Amino acid sequence: MSTTPFVTDAALVAAVADKDAGALRELYERHGAWLHARLIRRCNDPEVVVEVVQDTFVALWKDARRFRHDGEVGAWLWGIAFRRMVSRLRSRKDVVLIPDWDVPAAPQQVLPSAEDLVLLGVEYGDLAAALRRLSPEFRSVVQAVVLDGLTTKEAGRLLGVRENTVKTRLHRAKAQLRTALTEPQEGWR
Amino acid sequence: MNVPRGTVELTGVGKRYGRKHALADVDLTFDHGVTGLLGPNGAGKTTLLRIVATSIAADSGQVRLLGRDPHGSQADVTAVRRELGYLPQELGYPSDMTAFGFVEYVAVLKEWNDRERRVREVRRVLSLVDLTDQATVRVGRLSGGQRRRVGLAQALLGDPRLIVLDEPTAGLDPAQRADLRRTLSTLGHRSTVLLSTHQTEDVAALCERVVVLAGGTVRFDGAATDLVATAVGRVWLADEPGDDALVSWRTGTGRHHVVGGTPPTGADPAEPTLEDAYLLMLGPDAQRLRAPA
Amino acid sequence: MTTGTQGWHADPALLASYLAGDLDAVTGASVEQHVSRCEACRAAVGHLLEPQLVERTWAGIRDAIERPPLPVPIRLARRLGLPESTAVLLAAAASLRGAWLVGAFLSLSFATLAAYLSGGTALAPFLLVAPLAPVLGVATAYGPRQDPLEALVATAAYGRTRLILLRTIAVLVSVLPVTALLGLALPGPRWLAAAWLGPALALVPVLLALAGFVGPRAAATVVLLGWSSVVVASTRAGLDPAWPVEAAQQGAYLALAVAACAVIAVRLGIDRRRGVAL
Repeated sequence: MSTTPFVTDAALVAAVADKDAGALRELYERHGAWLHARLIRRCNDPEVVVEVVQDTFVALWKDARRFRHDGEVGAWLWGIAFRRMVSRLRSRKDVVLIPDWDVPAAPQQVLPSAEDLVLLGVEYGDLAAALRRLSPEFRSVVQAVVLDGLTTKEAGRLLGVRENTVKTRLHRAKAQLRTALTEPQEGWR
Repeated sequence: MNVPRGTVELTGVGKRYGRKHALADVDLTFDHGVTGLLGPNGAGKTTLLRIVATSIAADSGQVRLLGRDPHGSQADVTAVRRELGYLPQELGYPSDMTAFGFVEYVAVLKEWNDRERRVREVRRVLSLVDLTDQATVRVGRLSGGQRRRVGLAQALLGDPRLIVLDEPTAGLDPAQRADLRRTLSTLGHRSTVLLSTHQTEDVAALCERVVVLAGGTVRFDGAATDLVATAVGRVWLADEPGDDALVSWRTGTGRHHVVGGTPPTGADPAEPTLEDAYLLMLGPDAQRLRAPA
Repeated sequence: MTTGTQGWHADPALLASYLAGDLDAVTGASVEQHVSRCEACRAAVGHLLEPQLVERTWAGIRDAIERPPLPVPIRLARRLGLPESTAVLLAAAASLRGAWLVGAFLSLSFATLAAYLSGGTALAPFLLVAPLAPVLGVATAYGPRQDPLEALVATAAYGRTRLILLRTIAVLVSVLPVTALLGLALPGPRWLAAAWLGPALALVPVLLALAGFVGPRAAATVVLLGWSSVVVASTRAGLDPAWPVEAAQQGAYLALAVAACAVIAVRLGIDRRRGVAL
């Protein structure tokens, strides 16, 4: 399967459903790397990340027919990948990283240019500042549910708290964010 | 006897089914390079190839493959079969296997026991026939041409010294034939490749040497160009079909392509093709073969 | 959606520090959201990742999709030391999986019968079915009357005979233990539970020998009719229900098996000269 003429992700998924290995390879080339990058930020065991990416594409191979063609392939793949990682690491809390929101991680941190910040800001607006003001346990819930797309039940498992706790924290976090921002942002439930 | 590598020697080989002679007293020697067996249905092509592929034994005469007796000791049989790639005329493909699974299965039958080397080899032959992307598709879902290429892939496992292909071009489109030609021409440097076909274009395109079989006997054995040369001066373009022509047919330009017999009045000599030569070689048998174009 | 970012792409330095984990969480999350929707930036991340890692991951995916997992019984056998290449041969034989089904089905059917057996004359159904289960399994292991791969199997170095014997053994291994266990549930003397093994094992070479002449289907039919008539006739004649598996008869089965093996051996020799095996 070649990239010219351009074939959409959804068409590739359809080809994968017909067991076209070339289409799977193409999807892997389009999505494998960023999934890898996104997972490695959440897990400090590179081997686990490799296996999760592999599992994700093998799952895509087996279940391509289940893809609903109204969604984005990338988001669907992330959903598979992150859930697999969470369930795989349920017994290994030590390797799951929940991003540290307070401290810049490395000494030689690259600061995004002012322009980059503005443009990235389009995605979140003043949210960044509002998020930083949240307490750590609220942030981790926002991270897991809002940014990473877990259900409250899955987030509870990941964070080691009960589902109801997640719901309560999420509810309160949203309320705090709403207060911090003048109006709710797009993408918030 | 000091036999060069990659040699097939048939001496006085005969095979009969009931009272019918499928092959009669055939003497042929093949060395590396691509040889095409050409002949009408029932000419004995498949019988000859099955003998060379150790699938059946000759009733009479002597067969030596790679310097060994293919029906001698178990060691000889196995040694020959290890160097043999065979695409039978009719190969059933278990439809629930994938292309990869099928070729891997044959690879195990060919004693590729080491998993890693086997997987690598299976991938190699699948890519030779341009099926890398279809390797994971069930054979039942492949097209006829793709299935034929799966069959071809298994015949190429392990780069055998003796490759026997019974109608490898059946079901292939022109582009795939061109690919096959490329693949075979590189194989011909090292291996002895025998293939059968009833299409003269295949022979013209694929083979250095042609053997024309009819009625179980060899009618011609030589270079493809030499076969064409036998027809020089016996082919014409004329305004009417010849009275005593072997065959003639109307061409796209409206004139008649006349093969054999006496030239009709006003006929212009034409450049013979391999097909003309083949038809002349078969003689009266040819009339059945050439339906008007 | 994020129309504002259409023309903008994260620069390589920003992506590199994202990959290295050097961005704070909020910026990181922003980059992430952008990348997940921006094709160009996804590709850019791809260029930043080690090619080796990308290929290694792909190799694992390819392995998994090219070679679907083996059927459970074969995986079990692998654990018990079955060579990997042999496992591929067995897994490929769809007919063999069918044979297992047949074997299991028959085993179950006579298990039911056995449960209802109340000693005495009701032994006949078990004695009829138990020895035939492996035979039918083996006959199925040949595949259809004309194996679609016949021509290839016959000219491969592995050898057709070896392949059939391998499948035969696989069938016996999978069918016999089940049958043996069920035999233990039989009423009457303990030796009965093992006695059916005599004809069961003797009928397999008889089947193989016959199959060489008339093909597996016809051979299976002959064996089936032959064994049925032995059992039925002994019941009709009012003999002891266990008569078909008594010592004298066992001797006859043994003789039959030896004769069948001899036929197979002779035929193998002839066939090799003629160019076909078994």
